[in-house]
Amino acid sequence: MNRKKLIGNMVRYSLYALVAAFFIWAISNNYFDYIFTQSETFLVLLRQHIVLVLVSSLLAILIAVPAGILITRPKFKKAEWLVSNVVNLGQTIPSLAVLALMISILGIGFQTAVFALFIYSILPIFRNTVAGIDSIDKNMIDAAKGMGMKPHQILFRIELPNSAYSILAGIRTAVVLNIGTAALAYVVGAGGLGVWIFTGINLFDNGFLISGAIPVTLLAILADYILRKVEYVVVPKGSRRIEKA
Amino acid sequence: MIKSLKLIPLLIITVILSGCSGFGVAGKEVTVGGKNFTEQYLLSEMTAFLLVEEGFKVNQMNNLGSSVVRSALENGQVDMMWEYTGTALITYMGEESIADPEAAFQKVKEIDSENDIHWMNMSGVNNTYALVMRSEQSEELGIKSISDLSAYINDNPGELTMAADAEFANRSDGLPGVEETYGFEFGSGQVRQMDLGLTQRTLNNEQVDVSVAFETDATVRSYDLVVLEDDKQFFPPYRAAVAINQEVYEEYPEIEEITARLAENLNSDIMRELNYLVDVEGQSVSVVAYEWLVENGFLEEE
Repeated sequence: MNRKKLIGNMVRYSLYALVAAFFIWAISNNYFDYIFTQSETFLVLLRQHIVLVLVSSLLAILIAVPAGILITRPKFKKAEWLVSNVVNLGQTIPSLAVLALMISILGIGFQTAVFALFIYSILPIFRNTVAGIDSIDKNMIDAAKGMGMKPHQILFRIELPNSAYSILAGIRTAVVLNIGTAALAYVVGAGGLGVWIFTGINLFDNGFLISGAIPVTLLAILADYILRKVEYVVVPKGSRRIEKA
Repeated sequence: MIKSLKLIPLLIITVILSGCSGFGVAGKEVTVGGKNFTEQYLLSEMTAFLLVEEGFKVNQMNNLGSSVVRSALENGQVDMMWEYTGTALITYMGEESIADPEAAFQKVKEIDSENDIHWMNMSGVNNTYALVMRSEQSEELGIKSISDLSAYINDNPGELTMAADAEFANRSDGLPGVEETYGFEFGSGQVRQMDLGLTQRTLNNEQVDVSVAFETDATVRSYDLVVLEDDKQFFPPYRAAVAINQEVYEEYPEIEEITARLAENLNSDIMRELNYLVDVEGQSVSVVAYEWLVENGFLEEE
């Protein structure tokens, strides 16, 4: 036990050291300068990035969670394989290809990027919703029926609270992936921090690359942190899982 | 014993893989680099066809940003490429623009000899940057030259938007240089950056008012766009020429002769024609390159 702790700590602190070393290297080379010298542009790009992620994630949540709930109703059980496959397809097409395909339909810019990111975010949310609801103990549902609950009461009082952990895990996965993928929005002219990342690649300029990439990383970490807090509030005490360190 | 048996497949694979590189004719091998737009795909493809014809084994590294392919040329990952005199002079070397193509070429050649890069065979292809607008809108607003554009933007700030790729938008001989020379500025929210292949399409769809283009772009004609006159001659000549690693050049001096014929036969008009076949008619780069080479007697039809 003690040895495990020791190794865990060693790994953790060496990672911290690596991160610190990276920042010292980046700062000493003035790689973050663009954030301050072109702060106006930076804020525009940051806003575009956040809006892209928010709009596409919200759309995905609005579509995927109800779809997951519907498909687990006894009436629609038969259609589960079909919907699952359609949703899977969305995830298997490379996001760049989705962007390219949608240009001819939605034109260039914001809508195209949002659509591609939306397609990309549906799967993890849908999957986790279905898995969460399916994993509920059948005895609990039986007990609820025995108490005379109606189907909608069972859904809102038993099924959703008990699968909340799983649904939120799906949303977290989707949003964090989404933040990284949104960097590709540059390609179709939807802006976002990907503009600086691609500028860095094309001009071989580490300053642009790092001024673009590090904020994206921090955004992803921040989103993950916020969604963890949300989880803590939403998930009922009884079904809260103890995080295994 | 058992352990050593497990190594046999590994050995076989190693032998096969190392064998692959040993079959070339006396091992003549070059890597041709290229940038991320149609004209460069074509030039790279033509060069590859001609070199293969002469018994070379050719590797291609295409679709790279200018600075990326330049670094690859400097560190030997790419042996040769078609580079533009203006790009080398201003972006890589930080020199002042030179209006005379021949003088610019000599200057670049002289500077790059210190970097072990040899320049040769300047062609008539002048792929200089240009700013383009839709004809009707340029009529409507009375914008014929970049000076007109500058005046209009200074009178109506925040009205016009522009499409550019990340490279042009941030290169010193790109938009920042144009803005400085002509004394105007697009706001940071008004320049929409995207993949180079989409800029003129975006302009044509009326999603922006100005776009970056190349002199040899075919889409300028097919979309009914006008090139704004560069009345202050900001953009230097961008003549395509062969830039080759010095050692590789000394090892295979015949490359000069092989590419010379190509350089003599190509010019901006032909290049625009070929770009048109790929960009507008949607033919494949290999087919267009091959057919042109056959038509002009570079290759025998097989």
